[in-house]
Amino acid sequence: MDFTLTTYYPIFIYLVIVIGFGIAAIATAHLVSPKKVTPVKQMTYESGMDPIGDARQKFDVKFYLIAILFLVFDLELLFLYPWTTTYQQGSIIPAGLRDIVFWEVQVFLLTVIIAYLYAWRRGVFRWR
Amino acid sequence: MSPDLQNALTDFIPQVVPEIVLGVSACVLFLGATFRVSRHVWGVFALVALTLASFALIATIRSLPLFTEPPTTFDKSKWPLYAAPVLFTPLALFFKVVGLVTGFLLVLLSWDEGGEDHAGEYHGCLLLLVAGIGLVGAANDLLTLFLALELISLPTYLLLYLPRADERAQEAAMKYFLLSVFSSGLLLFGFSYLYGLTGTTNIPALLDMFASGQERLAPNPEASTQQPWVGVTLLALVMIVAGLGFRITSVPFHFYAPDVYQGTTTPAAALLAFVPKIVGFAALLRILGYVPGLSAFERPLGTAMGEQVPMLLWIMAAVTMTLGNILALLQDNIRRLIAYSSVAHAGYMLIGLAVVRYLANAPGESVGGVEALLFYLVAYGAMTLGFFAVLHYLDSPDRPLESVDDLAGLGKSHPSCGLLLTLFLLSLIGMPLTAGFVGKFLIFFDAMGLSSQNAEQARLYRILALIAALNAAVGGWYYLRMIGVMYLREAIDPLPRPRPAPVVATIAVCATLTLGLGLFPQSLLQLIRDALPRPNAQLVARAADEGQAVARE
Repeated sequence: MDFTLTTYYPIFIYLVIVIGFGIAAIATAHLVSPKKVTPVKQMTYESGMDPIGDARQKFDVKFYLIAILFLVFDLELLFLYPWTTTYQQGSIIPAGLRDIVFWEVQVFLLTVIIAYLYAWRRGVFRWR
Repeated sequence: MSPDLQNALTDFIPQVVPEIVLGVSACVLFLGATFRVSRHVWGVFALVALTLASFALIATIRSLPLFTEPPTTFDKSKWPLYAAPVLFTPLALFFKVVGLVTGFLLVLLSWDEGGEDHAGEYHGCLLLLVAGIGLVGAANDLLTLFLALELISLPTYLLLYLPRADERAQEAAMKYFLLSVFSSGLLLFGFSYLYGLTGTTNIPALLDMFASGQERLAPNPEASTQQPWVGVTLLALVMIVAGLGFRITSVPFHFYAPDVYQGTTTPAAALLAFVPKIVGFAALLRILGYVPGLSAFERPLGTAMGEQVPMLLWIMAAVTMTLGNILALLQDNIRRLIAYSSVAHAGYMLIGLAVVRYLANAPGESVGGVEALLFYLVAYGAMTLGFFAVLHYLDSPDRPLESVDDLAGLGKSHPSCGLLLTLFLLSLIGMPLTAGFVGKFLIFFDAMGLSSQNAEQARLYRILALIAALNAAVGGWYYLRMIGVMYLREAIDPLPRPRPAPVVATIAVCATLTLGLGLFPQSLLQLIRDALPRPNAQLVARAADEGQAVARE
C-alpha cells in the first residue's frame, strides 16, 4: 500500500487557498466597506416586505409530517434518477446484474409506497 | 465480470428468505395496524410470521450448502466465492436461530404492549428486529453490516416510544435515539477509514489485505511504526469498537442505559438488555476477524496491528465490569439496577473477546473465547429475559413494580414467582447448576488458560480473571439483596395476583433454558463448536513455533 502524505499535498494546498480566500474576502469587506448603520439596513431581509412578528414561533406539527413525507419522496427521486440514467450503460451496471438491480429498485419503490399508504391511512393528509 | 462473481452477487437471495418473510410480514403488520382490529390478532400474526420464518430457515438449511470451506492459503481463484453481501455460514445460522427464538420470546413478552392502537406497529417492529439479527450474523460486507445494524436500531426507537407516551418514556426514547445515532456515526467513520485504506467494503477481502500488509512488515517490525496506514487502521478500529461499544453498553458508552431502562416499559428494557448485545458482539467478532477460517487471511485484523486491540478490549472489560457492578450496588430501582448489571455482564463477555487472539493461536481443538462468549450471550439472554418477564408479569398499572422494596414478601405472597425470580437471580450471580455459572466458568477458564503462551501475557490475563472473580463476588451482593427482600421481609401492601397472560410462556422457556443450560451445557457448547470453523492448522503450528522461539529467548 503506497500511502504517503505527499499524495495529499494538492488537497492541502487547495484547502489553504480556499480558507484563505474566504477569510480574505470577509476581512477586506470589513476593512474597506463604508459603515453607516440605518434602521432600514438592520431590518430582517424579507424580499422587500417589512417583516411581521418574530421568526422564532411554534409551528404546527402537521408541517413536520408533510416535510418528512416530502423528504421520503425527495430521497426516492434522488435515488431513482441516477439509476434510470445509468441503467442501460454496461460500464456502470454490468449486464449480468441488470435484472437483480431492476427488481431491487422495484422492492425499494414498493416499500416507499407502503410507507405512503401507512401515512395516508393514519390520516397524515387530513388537515385538521 | 466473471460468471463466479456474478453468481455470488445474484444467488444470495435464497439465503435470506427467512428475513424476507419477516420483512414482508412486518409491512403487512404496519398496514394492518391502521385498521381497527383486536391487538390479539396482531400478536397471533407475529407468531405465525415467526413460525413461517423458522420453516423458511429449516428449508434453507436443507436446500442450501452451508459456507464452511475455508481456503487454507491465499487463493485468488476462490475470491468470487466471498463476494456476496451475505454469507450463509454456520455462525450466521447460529445467530439466525438465536434471533428467531428471541423473537418468539419477545412477542410473547410484549403481547399487551402498544395498546389497541399501536399493537400492529409494535409487533411489526419486533419482526424487523429479528430480521436484523439474522442479517448482522450473515453480513459479509461493511455496508450490509451497517444496514443490518440500522435495521435493529430504527425499530428500537419506535419500540421505546410506542407503548408509553409520558414524559419519562419520551426522554428515554430521545436519549437512546441521539446516542444511538452518534454511535452509528462513529461506526461509519471507522468504516470509511477502512474503505479508504483498502478500497473495498468486502470484509474477507479487507481482512486479507491487512494481513498481507502485515506480512510485508513482519521481517522488519520497527518499520510498522513509521507506516502511516498502521496508525490510521488503529484509529479506525478504535472508532468501530467505540461505535459498537455503545450497543453492548460497555463503559464509557454505558451512561444512557440506566436512564433509558428506567424510563421505558419492562418489555422494552428486556429487549434493550439483550438484542443490541447480540448484534454488537456479532459485528465485533466479524470486523475484528475473530472468526478464523472465514477468510483467506491468517492474522485477524484485531491483532494484525499488534497488541493494541486486545489491550483495548482488556481495559474495556476490566473497567466495564468494575464500574457496572459498583454502580449497581447503589441502585434502588430494579430496572436501573439491572441496567448496571447488564453493563457488568457486558464486561464479562468482553473478556471472551479480549482473549480470543491468544487462544485462537493456541494448539487445541476449539476457538476459545468466541465459544465462551457465544455461550455467555445465550445464557445471559435466557436469564435476563426471564427476569424481566417475571417483573412484567407481576407489574400492573395500579400497582407498578419499580423499586427493590416492592418485591418485599414476594416469597410468601407469590411463591412460584418468587422461586423463578430467585432462579434467574442465582443464574445472574453465577451459582452452579445454572446457565450463568457455566458461562462465567468458560469465560474465566479461558482467561486463566493462557499459560502456554508467553508469560507476561498469561500474567496479564490472569489478573483480568482475578478482577472478574472479584466482580462476580461484588455482583452477588446486590442480587442476593433482592432475594433477601423477597424472602425475609414482610410486604406492607402485597402485590395483587396477576392474571394469566402469554408472558407465562416466555417465563417458562427462559427458566427451562437457564436450568437446562446449567445442567447440560454440553448440548449448546457442541452446537457452538460446530458453528465455529476450526483454526487453520498451519497457523496453529506456526504460532506454536513462535511461542517456543519467544520462550527460548
